This record gives sequence, C-alpha cells and structure tokens, in this order.
Amino acid sequence: MRLLVVEDDIDVAQDLARALQGAGFIVDTAGDGETAWFKGSTEDYAAVVLDLGLPKLDGLSVLKRWRSAQRDFPVLIVSARSDWTEKVDGIEAGADDYLGKPFQIPELVARVRALLRRAAGHASPAIEVGKLVLDTSRMSATWAGRPVRLSQLEFRFLHYLAHHAGCPISAGELAEHLYGASDTNDSNAIEALVVRLRRKIGPDVIETRRGFGYALAQNGA
Amino acid sequence: MQRSLRVRLLLGAAIAILLALAGSWVGMTILFERHIERRVKEELVRDGKQLAASVSIGADGVPVIAREPGDARFEKPASGLYWQVSTPRGMLRSRSLWDQALPASGTASASRWSDRLVAGPFEKELLLVERVVRPERGAADVLLQIGYESAPLHESRAQFGAELAVFLALLWVILSAAAWVQVELGLRPLRRVRSELEALQRDPRARLDAAHPLEIEPLIRAINELADTRERDLERARRRAADLAHGLKTPLAALSAQSRRAREAGAHAAADGLDRAINAATAAVEGELARSRAAAVRAASAGDSAAAQSLIESIIRVVERTEFGQRLVFEVDVPEEMHVPVAAGDFTELMGALIENASHHARRRVRISGAASPGARQLCIDDDGPGIAPDQISEAMARGGRLDEAGTGHGLGLAIAHDLVGATRGRIELSRSDLGGLRVKISWAFAR
Repeated sequence: MRLLVVEDDIDVAQDLARALQGAGFIVDTAGDGETAWFKGSTEDYAAVVLDLGLPKLDGLSVLKRWRSAQRDFPVLIVSARSDWTEKVDGIEAGADDYLGKPFQIPELVARVRALLRRAAGHASPAIEVGKLVLDTSRMSATWAGRPVRLSQLEFRFLHYLAHHAGCPISAGELAEHLYGASDTNDSNAIEALVVRLRRKIGPDVIETRRGFGYALAQNGA
Repeated sequence: MQRSLRVRLLLGAAIAILLALAGSWVGMTILFERHIERRVKEELVRDGKQLAASVSIGADGVPVIAREPGDARFEKPASGLYWQVSTPRGMLRSRSLWDQALPASGTASASRWSDRLVAGPFEKELLLVERVVRPERGAADVLLQIGYESAPLHESRAQFGAELAVFLALLWVILSAAAWVQVELGLRPLRRVRSELEALQRDPRARLDAAHPLEIEPLIRAINELADTRERDLERARRRAADLAHGLKTPLAALSAQSRRAREAGAHAAADGLDRAINAATAAVEGELARSRAAAVRAASAGDSAAAQSLIESIIRVVERTEFGQRLVFEVDVPEEMHVPVAAGDFTELMGALIENASHHARRRVRISGAASPGARQLCIDDDGPGIAPDQISEAMARGGRLDEAGTGHGLGLAIAHDLVGATRGRIELSRSDLGGLRVKISWAFAR
C-alpha cells in the first residue's frame, strides 16, 4: 500500500518514511504544499500523513483542495501548533485524524493502520435501512441523501442496529456490544446516545420499542 | 493604629483642637476674672470717693462722716462689704464690720486708689481698696478703706469656667467631626486608587486612571510604570517559556528516535526509561505551550462574540477522534442561538481544553449544557468519571500545578481553562456532577 508523507523537515520526514517502510508500506514524500497537492491529485494513495506548517502552500489549503477535487483518501494531520482552533479547522477541512507533535512513531503507525482498516476490508461497503445509508468504508452515513457526520461510537451503534434490521435490540445488549461489558448506568449512556443521534440525524431515525429496545426505522416514514 | 493614616490624622486633629481649646479655656477664664475684678474695684472706688467727699476731722482729731455710703450691705453685719475711715487718733467703721476692723495699711498712697488682697474679718479673704486723703489743709491724714469679700468673685469665675468648659467641649466635638469629614474627603481618592489597584491585580493589562488629584498623581504614574514593567517582564517570561518549549520539541523527537533505535537493538529497559522521560518532558512542553496560548488571550472586548453550539460541535468532532473520545457519547444541550462574549478562537481553546479534559476522565458520557439569560451566559461540562475530591478542587485549579503530573490528572486542562476564563472575565467553578463525575461550570456576566 502506498502512503504519502508530507513534511518539510527532512529529518522528521526520513524518520517517518523509515518507520512506515518498516511497517510494510510504500512511502512517497513531499517537502512542500504544492508538491503534495500535485502528488495527491495525480497518484492514488491509501492514506496521507500531512504536516500543516508547509512552505509554498499550507497543509490546510492542500487538504481543502484535495477534498473539493473529490480526493477522499484518509488524511492524518500532524502539527506542531496543536492549538484547538487548528485542530478544529483541520477536522472541518476533511481530515480523518489529528496528531500533535511531538509524537511517538509507533502511535503514528497505529493511527495510520486504524485509518486504513476503516477504509478497507468491506466487500459490500454500503448498508441501507430505510432512509439511512451507512458507508462502512468511510464510517460515514447519509440520511435521505444528506451526509451525516458520525463519531466512531455512533457509527458502531447504528451499524449494529443495521445488522439486526427489523428486530429491536435492548439497551443492555447494545451496551454489551459497544463497551464489552455493561452495568445499569450504561443504559443511561445508550439513551443519551439515542437522543444525540435523533437530534443529529432526525427524530425518527431510531424507534423505541417499549419493553424490547431500539431499532432503526425500516421505511423512514 | 500607627499604620492607619486616617486614625493618625484624626487623632492628631482631635488632640491639637483639644489643646487649643484647653488653652483658650484657661485664657478666657483669667480674662473673665480680671474683668469682674475691675468692675468690683470700680464700685469700691466709687464708694470710697463718696466717703472721701463726706469725711472731715473732728476737733479731737477723730474722723467724722457727714453722710454714710448708701449701700444697705454696709448696714448688715458680716455682709461682705465694709468700709473703714481711720486717723492716728481714732476710726469710723461700717456697721457691717461689727466688732472687727480692717487691717492697718502701710502701703496706702495719697495719690491714687490702690488695692490688695488681705485676710479680712470673719476669716474671709478680702479685696481691699484704700487711699490716704487730707480733708483739710494742715489736718491729719485720713486712711479710707473699702473691703469686699473675694469669695463671690471666685464663685462666679468657677461658674463661668464650668459653662465655658461645656461650650468648648461641644465645640471640640464639632471641630473633630469637621476634621473627620476633611480626612474622609481627603482620603477618598486613595480609596479609589485601592479599588483600581485591585483591578490591576486581577488583570495585568489594567492601568490606574490618570484623572487623580495632583498630589497623588506622581504615585499613580509610578504605579502605572511599575505595571508596565511587570507586564513587559511577564510577556518576556512567557515568550521565553514558549520559545523554550518550542525549542525542546525537536530534541525530544530526536530522543524518541534514539529510544526506538535502542529498542530495536534489544535494550528494552533503557528504551522504556527513555520513553518515560520523553513523555514527561512532552507533557511539560505541551502544557507550557497551551499556557502561552492562554496568556495570549485578549480581555473580552464589547464586540467579541462566539456562537457556542456550532463551535462546541466542531470541538466534539475533534475529540471524538482521540483515543479517549472515541468511546464516549457527547450530549450537547446548548441553545442554537446562544452566543458567549468571548472571541471565537479563545472560546475554542477554552472549550477544547475542558471537553478534552472531561473526555480523559469520563466513563461513557460527557454532557455540555448551556443557558443564556439577559446579561449572563453559562456553560456546564459534566462527565461520569471518578470526579475530584472536594479538598483537591483548589489544587486542581492552582496555576502552579505540577505539569509532569498533568498528563493524567485533571490539572493541566483545568489550569488552562482557569487562565482563559480569567482572561475573558468569566468565572469557573468545580463541583460534583449528577452524572457522577466532575462538573465544570463557566459563566460570564456582562452589561448589554
């Protein structure tokens, strides 16, 4: 799998490239924003590691250009500034993950692997239940054609319900699935999650079957 | 007492006024006594002149009075008013003298009326007026004496003194009150300085108002210059701390590369130790950088405003991608139209620090709720984690919290939030959440 590492500090770039090569990837590097934008627009990468402070064209602009050109490979931002405004801007511009400098190389490799895992491995990436379509490759969803941004937890919750489309799942079972174990407090968390999803997507996305549990709306009526 | 300017000024004024009034009491009493003494003497001299006009010498050399002075007191024994006319051959006395006599005189002059105090009859002190006259040419000298008991004089002086004392005491009270008013008025500008200094203490950017009385203006100028210096020093120290933190990032990255190589070479124990040190140093560096960002926050100006809900949702989208945040449900219960009186960038830093902090400690849920009322905004961040013991709350907020422990504790995020909230003139409170963990409540009050 080919990765693109965009980093203007040559030492750091080489260190990153060596580590990722050691993890079994093929690595291209770019030292400035324009080169990065060009490579990302013309080559197919499985994922990109993008530094934000770049000469010629800053990382955030590169990312925005890729996204507006429908380049949707997963992007991991690394940045030295690590202030919240930059993190928020990065994620809003379409980054998939964020890592502040200085970071541990193993952590970066693990994050890249997680991005790739999310993006790959599903034979049939889309699951459709009523008006809800779950894209398992990007862990995103659309509701009546409108894109919805989901957290990992929210996606796993909807995904589990979608796998059991039609039959209600109890809060206890959902908690068991999401958290591995469950106690009575966790059904409060599940309830909070349902409230949040209804607010985020639409009030009728999840039905409450009293006494049985939760289920996705089948026809979205 | 010595340290209070007011007490010192008041005490000084009260004592000075008291001394002046006591002095005037003594002086006025003496003047009064001399005045009535003079009046009494004039009366005695008038009686004496009457005597002198009617005295003559009889054939035997004994004085003869043609007409006695008219005052009834001369008729009543021991009345306190007496006369006596004497020649070497004999004497005449008022009835009031009864069987007593006025003392003989060696000092009476022929040219004028003289007076003196003598021990008189009936064992009373007398004011005695006397003169020697010669009624006829060639005749013997006649000594005229008129005596008046001095006790009534002393009595009226004592009475006058007592009345005057009451009056002067009243005057003392009034003047002291006036001095108090004066001191209060005089010290009022200093009180304003004090309240302005308190503002300066809270916010290093504040300055004292230049419109102060001329007398304390040099002080104000000096304080403001000191504040300027302090702010510059603070700024310099912050910049150096931030530079230092930035400067450490690259060596830290190099160190972690070394640690990785050590691990590859099989030196796992050495690599573990190195990693621990690198993690601690990284936490300290991150903390210092976060603080320098917090310090750069401007004080909220009237125009600053941030849309709370959308910024909070953006921050949650970031936190949801972190190791801690991805397992949590974030509940947002903030009115869509709610704006807070803080610049958007500062609000993002503040809420980022608090939400990330909550996500580190929450078990399943983080709740962000907001409420807006006229002139006030309030936000609560609740988590269902272990929370903080009440006695550790102030420690968690302390600015000097140990940064190397901040990676795991509530400390750093809260310390940063504390700085930020303070810089934006808000309030931050910690308490127990109904979710079971920590509740951080931040609020702003503003006049609109």
